Formats: sequence, C-alpha cells, structure tokens
Amino acid sequence: MISSANIDAVPTTPLGLSNLPRLARRYPLVLLGGGLLMLLIILALAAPLYAGDPQNMDPFVRLQPPSAEHWFGTDNLGRDVFARTVYGARISMMVGLISALLAACTGLLMGVVAGYVHRFDNVIMRVMDALMSIPTILLAIALISLTGPGIGILIVAVTLPQTPSVTRLVRSVVVSVRERPYVEAAVCGGARLPKVLRRHILPSTIPPLMVQSAIVCADAIMIEAGLSFLGVGVPPEIPSWGNMISSSRVYLASAPLTIFAPGIFLTLTVLAVNLLGDGLRDLFDPRAKRRR
Amino acid sequence: MTITRRTFMESALAAGTVLALASALRAQDKQTIRMIMEDIQVFDPVFSTSSAAINHATAIYDTLFALDANLLPQPQMVGKWDVSDDKKTYKFALRDGLEWHDGTPVTAADCVASIRRWGQVEASGQLLLERAADIAAVDETTFKITLREPHGLVLETLATTGQPLFIMRKQDAKRPATEQVTTNIGSGPYRFNADLTKPGARYVYDRNEQYVPRDEPASGFAGGKVVKVEQLIWENIPDPQTALAALQSGEVDFWMTPVADLFPTIESDPGLVLDTLGQNGSDWLVRMNFLQPPFNNVKMRQALLHLIDQKVFLRLLSPDPKFGRTVSSMFGVGSPYSSDVNTDWFKEGGDLAKAKQLIAESGYAGEKVVILDPTDWPEGNLASQLLANVLQKAGINAELAPMTWSELVVRRAKKEPVAEGGWSLLITYFSDFEIRDPMATSLMLMNGEKAWYGWPQNEEYEALRAKWPDTETQEERKELAREMQRIWWDYVGVVFLCQTLTPTARSKSLVDMIRFPSIERPMWNMRKV
Amino acid sequence: MAPYILRRMVSAIAVMAMVGIFVFLLIRLTPGDPAAVMAGRNATEQIIAGIREQLGLNEPLPVQFIHWLSAMLHGDFGTSIFSGRPVLELLLQRLEPTNSLSILTLALSVAVGVSFGIQAAWRAGGLVDRLLTVFSAFGYSVPVFVIGYFLVYLLAISVAWLPVQGYAPIEEGFGDWFSHLILPTIALSLPFIAFVARVTRASMLEVLSEDYMRTAAAKGASSYAMLVHHALKNAGVPILTVIGLSFAYLIGGVVLTETVFNIPGVGRLVVDAINNRDYPIIQSVLILTSGVYVLINLAVDLAYTLIDPRIRY
Repeated sequence: MISSANIDAVPTTPLGLSNLPRLARRYPLVLLGGGLLMLLIILALAAPLYAGDPQNMDPFVRLQPPSAEHWFGTDNLGRDVFARTVYGARISMMVGLISALLAACTGLLMGVVAGYVHRFDNVIMRVMDALMSIPTILLAIALISLTGPGIGILIVAVTLPQTPSVTRLVRSVVVSVRERPYVEAAVCGGARLPKVLRRHILPSTIPPLMVQSAIVCADAIMIEAGLSFLGVGVPPEIPSWGNMISSSRVYLASAPLTIFAPGIFLTLTVLAVNLLGDGLRDLFDPRAKRRR
Repeated sequence: MTITRRTFMESALAAGTVLALASALRAQDKQTIRMIMEDIQVFDPVFSTSSAAINHATAIYDTLFALDANLLPQPQMVGKWDVSDDKKTYKFALRDGLEWHDGTPVTAADCVASIRRWGQVEASGQLLLERAADIAAVDETTFKITLREPHGLVLETLATTGQPLFIMRKQDAKRPATEQVTTNIGSGPYRFNADLTKPGARYVYDRNEQYVPRDEPASGFAGGKVVKVEQLIWENIPDPQTALAALQSGEVDFWMTPVADLFPTIESDPGLVLDTLGQNGSDWLVRMNFLQPPFNNVKMRQALLHLIDQKVFLRLLSPDPKFGRTVSSMFGVGSPYSSDVNTDWFKEGGDLAKAKQLIAESGYAGEKVVILDPTDWPEGNLASQLLANVLQKAGINAELAPMTWSELVVRRAKKEPVAEGGWSLLITYFSDFEIRDPMATSLMLMNGEKAWYGWPQNEEYEALRAKWPDTETQEERKELAREMQRIWWDYVGVVFLCQTLTPTARSKSLVDMIRFPSIERPMWNMRKV
Repeated sequence: MAPYILRRMVSAIAVMAMVGIFVFLLIRLTPGDPAAVMAGRNATEQIIAGIREQLGLNEPLPVQFIHWLSAMLHGDFGTSIFSGRPVLELLLQRLEPTNSLSILTLALSVAVGVSFGIQAAWRAGGLVDRLLTVFSAFGYSVPVFVIGYFLVYLLAISVAWLPVQGYAPIEEGFGDWFSHLILPTIALSLPFIAFVARVTRASMLEVLSEDYMRTAAAKGASSYAMLVHHALKNAGVPILTVIGLSFAYLIGGVVLTETVFNIPGVGRLVVDAINNRDYPIIQSVLILTSGVYVLINLAVDLAYTLIDPRIRY
C-alpha cells in the first residue's frame, strides 16, 4: 500500500508517555490531525442531537437544492443529505478504527511469531506475500461476495488486505531488535520468552505500530468508501459516504452537493488521520522530521 | 523495469490490432445506425428470456408467424397454411426464397426442430406440445401439426411475443434447450458480424442482402422486413451520463433505455426526441412469499395492498408524470382484458389506517420481513429501499437483504422460512404487454409449486385459467378474465407499485421506427435522413 | 547472485500456488448462480437447473479445481460463462484502455513527481518543500472517485473543455484518445505524484549528504546542475520502487477510475464479472494480476542490483 511511512526508515526509538504534551506543541501535525479527527468524531456521535432522520424518505421532495430545512438539499429518495453526511461519519470512523485495531493485533501477533520463531517465518511471510499480491479492492470485493454486503464481512474484507504491511513492519523490528547485543545477552542469560517480549521487543514495536495503524486506518476508510461506491460495501440503507456518492452519480450536474458533501467529509477524515500518522512519526522519530 | 514496459507496450499493440478493425465503423454516414442497447450476455433466445437476447434474435432470425400492429397473428415465413375441418390438423408451407445466412435453404425440418426446442421452455409452447399428437415435416418446405384435441390458439402461439418462436437451423435446434446456441446463423433480415463484435461493449449486424421480405407493408412484427441501412451497431454504455453525451454529440442515433432523471435534458434538446414507440411500459410489483409468515396470511397481503401508495412509488420510479401511471387490473393497463373488477376497495393504495387495522387483525407479531434488494440494479435497489421504509413506518419489522441480482435469483427460489435463508418480499417488473396473457406469463399462475416465485395456490382460479385455451372469441376471454381477476384480488396475487412507460430517446434524424406495445423492438424499416 | 535469483523464483512460485487455491475456493464458495443470471430476469427454476448441469457447476469442487488448474497450466484461462468467448480474448480486448490509463498515470507521476522532489530537496524547508508537504498530505487523502467527480464537474460539466466520460481507442485519433484520458489520469495520479516526489526528495537528500557531492561542490561545480545530473542518474531507484510497490494499488485505483469515467477496461470487466458470478473471468483476473505483481516485484528486486551498484545480495 502506498503510504508516507514506507519511505522513511522504521523508527524504533522507545518513548516515555510523560513527554507527550510538550512534544505535541513542538509537533503541530499531531494537534492538527488529532483535533480535526476529534471534531469529526464528536460531530458523528452527536448527530442525533442536531441532525434530522437520515433514513426518512419522501419521494415528493427528492433532489431539492439546499434550503433552511435541508442544509445540503435532498437525495434521490428525498432523504436529507446533511443528516446522511454526518451519520455517514459514524460508519467510516467505525470501520477505520476497528480495522486499524484488528490489523494491528493480527499483524503484531503474526510479525512477532515470524520474527521470533524461525520455523514459521517463511510460511507466514509467503502467505502475507500472497495476500499482498492480490489488488486490495479486488480481494475485498471477492471476500464480501461470500456473504453479501454487511458490516462484519466488510470489516474483515478491509482488514485482511492490510495485515501484510503491519506483519512485515513488526517482523522487521523484531528481527533487528533480537539481534541487538543486550537482547541476545538477555536471551543467553536465560530470560524467558514473555519477558523478552515485554521488556525488549514490544517497547520498540509499539511506536512504529502506532504510526502504521494510523495509515491502516486511513486506508481502511478509503477502501470502505471505495467498496460502498462500487455497491459492495455497506448495506444500502445505512448512510455511508461511498453509498451516497454512488447513488448520486447521475445527479452530478443537477445536484452536485449530493456527491460533494460526502466527498469533502470523506477527504477531511482521511486527511485528519494521515496528518495524525505523520505527526506521530515525527514524534517518535525526530530524525525523520529533520530529513523530511 | 524495461521488461515491464515492454510487456505493457506489447500487450497494448496486440489489443490495438484487434481494435484496428473497428475504426472502419466510425463512419457517420446514413447507412449505419448506432444504437445504445442493453448488453447481450447470452445470444440464444431459447436459453435466455432477457430482452437483450430477444432483440438480438429478432434481428438475425425469422419467425413463422408474427403479430401485426393490431396484435393479430399474420404469416411471416409461412406462405400458405390451412386447417382441417375437425380443427385438429394444421398444415404450413414455407414461402419461397428463405435462406440461412450460410447459404443453405430453410427447410420444414428446421422448423419442426425449432418448435420442439422452443416448446420445452416457453409456457404457451409447452401447452402446444402437450396437445400435439405429432409435429412433422411433410416434404422439404411443408410441415404439419396434428392435435389430439382442438386448440384455439395455435397461430397465436406460433406468433407469441414474450419469448418468440425463432426458427433456427436443424443442427442448432437439435441441441438441448439448456445448451447455448452460439453460432448466430439465422435467416432473418440481418447477419450477425462476429468479427466486429466486442462482447460487453459492441455488437454489429450487417444487412442480409439475400433476405426476401414479404410484399405487405411492415406492421408490428408482421409484414415486409425491409432493411434500409447497411449496418446496425449496438453499443453497451451502462453509464447514463455517457450515453446521454454520446446521443447529444450525434455519436449514436438511438438510446433504448434512457433513465428517468435525464428525461428533462433530453426533451430540452432540439435534436432529440423521447418516444415510447407504442410500448405499454412496465408494471412494477411486489411479490410476496405465500408459503411463509407473515404473507401466508391473506389479511397481511391485503394490508400490503392498502399500504403501498402507488403515487409515491410513481414519483420515485417515474419522476416525469408523462411517463408513468397507476395500475390496478391484474392484466395491466393496455390489455383488452383489463378491467376494474374488484379493485375499488383498494384503488391505488396509500391507506395507512386501513393497513394498520388489517395488520392488527392478521395477528402479526413482529415476524421479520426480508426484502430481497438487488444492489446492482439501481431502480430495483431504490424501490426496495423505499418499500422497506414504507413497511417500517407501518410498524412491520422489515429488513433489506442486499445482494447482487445473481445472488437474488438463487435466494428467491428458496421456499424455507426467512430464518433458514428464505425471503418475504421481492420487487420486479413485468412488461405490461406480457401480463395480458395468462397462459404465457408465469406470474399469472396460481398452481403452487409450479407458479412463479412466491408460489401462490388457488384451485378456483386455476380452474378458470384452464378454460382459457378453449375459448373461441375475445368476448369469451374477456368474461373469463373478469372472473379470474375477482379471485386474484381477493387472494392478492401481487401488489403493484406503479406502471412506468420507458420511452426510448433518439436523434430526430432517425425515422420510420416501427411502433409496437412489447419491450422488444423490430429493427427493420427505420432509416436516417 | 544466482542462488538469490533461484530463491526468489521458488518463493514466487509458492506465492502463486497459494493465490491459486485461495482464489478458487473464495470464488466457488460465494453464493450466487451464473446459470440463474443467464436464464433471464423471470425464468423458472427448471430451466435454471438444466443450465447449471450443462455448465458442469454440479461437479464436486476438487474435480472442478483439477480441471481448472490443468487447463491453466496449458495456457487456457477458460471461457466466459456468459459470452462463451475465451477469457484471454475478452481480457485482451479490454487491455488497451487499462494500459493507456496505467502508462499515462505512471508517466505523469514520474515526470511531475521526480521534478517536484528534486526542487523540494534543493531548498529543503523552502516554499516548494512546504508545498510538497501540503500536496502529499492532500494527495494521499482524497479518494480517486471524489477528485474524479470534482474534476468532471469543474472541467467537463461547468466549462465543457473535456469529455465527461468514456474512452476513445487510440487508432481513432490521438487527440480524441488523449482528451478522454486527461481527467482520469490526473485523478488517478495524485497519490502517485505525492509518493514519487517524497521518494525522490528523500533519496536526493541522501545524495546531497554524500562525500562526493561535497567534494564536487568544493571543486566549484555548479551544485544545482550537479544535483539534477545526479538526480537523473539516481531516478531509477525511486521509479522502480513506485512501480514495484504500487502495482496492486494501481489496479485498485484503475477499478474505481474506470467506474467513475466509464472506461471499458479490465477493471470494469472484473466488476461486471463479480456481479454476474462469471467465475472464469474473476479467477483469471485475480490470478493474472497477482502473477504480474509477483513478476514485477521480482524484476524490480533484480533491477535494483543492476541500477545501483551499492545494492548487493
């Protein structure tokens, strides 16, 4: 997957959490991305307080221009575009965050096993290669066809293609850490595996994993939107940005807001997550910032 | 890297040579008509009932009889025919000059094989085969049908329109009905040009110079099939915006199925015209699963009939009031058998109070109602979403089951309860022209397992329907139709959503297109000026 | 190097085998019935069952898998269930639009991205560099179908400078072909431009810190000209990286772009095939794209060693 973090060297500096506020001032991207993301999350969660019913259909007021009653106008079933746009944030955020979490956990497990247990290394990495070699969208569409559109299968379909990048990252960190003298010394000194993991390997893995998770989250949001746009993502009655854009394609000329409202929110959300990811990388690896 | 680029370039060049042939097609002369038609996924009109397959077959094959503009059967490939006094033996002689596209003459044996193959799948054809003692060639150009008992509808059957009896070569027609014929060799007014055809994108038909049209003027699918251009090109352009742009720029002359939301744009263009070409349109309907709760209860079906407000669905499916109307007769709007018998109690629906009362009376206890929702069919998808919304507002526990059409056709065959993968409701449409005929249209059967998906069962109705083939006059059939409709609406065999007229869009320079009520189009006689 | 090549090839074959089994199972376990789709909207169950029998869809899965595998090893990718045409032929017919779009996208990304990256590295922290930061954040974040519709609205609907959608084969005129591809190429290129620019910038900064550059500067060589010289010499690595890493992503982008702009390419072929459950097409496209991906990455890895003598295995 294309992502900014692939370019720069893997940051491995462990970092105490106590420095966070000070560093956040020095790294405005975290504030900007994180702040924007928080704002969008609050907008999404508070939607019932200020937006109308996103499901209510009334074909007699279909495709209306923006008005006091319908801020962004109405869509082809006479539903309120504004309400659907802010409710659409919920599904995007949910898919993005859950996928990031799932991919991080799976990738961490796979990566540690591959990097630490030599026997499994080859098998795991070839499976990951195989997963990576099938274009993400096609793999996801094929997975979703197994059960038909639904939130559960969607999350699996979005997460699975993301797992290889996390696994590769974790494995490379584990391999490099394991060969460091103090870790080898600890292993020779009889330290048990859980302890080695907890004391030496995980602390080095978590920071790059967080950065990668932000990237996975942004990708997941984009893939969800893309799948829904192709009509194989979220079930049609649930407001999702991809669904909205897809069902409004014919009205690009006559009712452009039905496409641009969800489009702009989608872009802003992905942007917020990407900025947060960039910011986190600067935070964990100041050297990378200098090079950037 | 160099390897990659070279591979790319080579494959691009290979594709280029295939496409190079197509450049010859680009000529914008009056001898070529370019039309935006549906994608032809299957070519064999016995194998598939899709209108794309039927249109394709109409162009390349010929028929024995055909309906004229007054819906009366007229001979087409048949020259002379007669019927014995006991009305049990029909004898047909082919007219002169009939020839396959491969140059061989059309024989009576070809016709017999074609009738037998088609008769396995088409409902009125099945009935004909059941009643026939023998269908056999007498000589090279004559064949006869011998009946066990008189059958009033032999010519109507041979001229049927929904899935017409196209005559194919004997070697093609000898294949099982479930095995696709892909040779595309007919005896009709056009030849299929396989070399210039690109499946999924473009289908090309050349004028058949050997074709001898009848002398009568063209009328409906009957009369002389005179082709006035050299070539037809059918393009598949699924995106409506692109299709409109192509029509406006003059790249194509005709668009079979413009979408309703673009009608105003088309009408405001001085070079274009919207025209239904005499079509009766499509009747949109909800089909219930009669075997499973809650719609195995007639009260729930009646509630649905009250609940659905046709005007609301009309607004969605046909935003332009010119091209839509409500429908209440089970025979549709444009049939001689249409009537308002037993329809005044529900009219166009939209009576929420009455619906809620019936739902309560039925003892509905919140059982899940699963609506099959075809996500890759935009109008079906929209209508399903609206249906779910309408049901939910009436307190019904409705849920959409989104799937592609290919999954839907599997799911709709399941008779189990919804918890075991069954279904409750689905939306589809039938051509208004099609549902005029209770013998040929599966939707109009009420014989349980054999009926169309949903499987309604009503012996009284079926007894009436069994009398249909034995009627002699249209008056008798009209009376029978009134009786059938009385039972149909008591039982609620279906709930109509509305009727949409589907006008075609075309450049004003394309003239003399033949008007006919069915969805399928005769493609001869037209020309460019 | 020979053992390395051998090792890489063995693992490539292992990967392909896994993809093969995975794809076959995935597609066959999917509900949906091509026979039913073929029979038409309102066909009866009896007809559909006959067609299913005819297509061999009733045979046990392992039997179907063996048939499929042995045919593929003989270069036969099967025939489309729907059109009855060979899959390879259908693919070839759809290759031109997809290749045109992919090649133009790569060309644009490399041309703009490399120069953008050099400029940014030359004055690190300067205006161009900051512009790159903003641009790349944006480029990674805007989905191709959002920017696609935005461009269509702006340049094709509002001012009607360019065709709204569709594709014109190149032999029907270069101008027509090109004008149809401008918008889709720009829409698809944004993330790639950002990517190439950042890769180029990073490798330029490394070049700038190399000893020989300092030496050259000390000798009085004009350093910007020198940077460009070295940039071109070193451009191979970022370009290769892009092609290797982004092929799978490019295909995904192509699927979406072809849908937005209604381009009759491989992407639309496979989306239609998935909707129709036309198994042979889906299987072949998944297998072929993943095969091309594996091959490209193999080639890229090998090419690294040729282009950059510092890389050794």
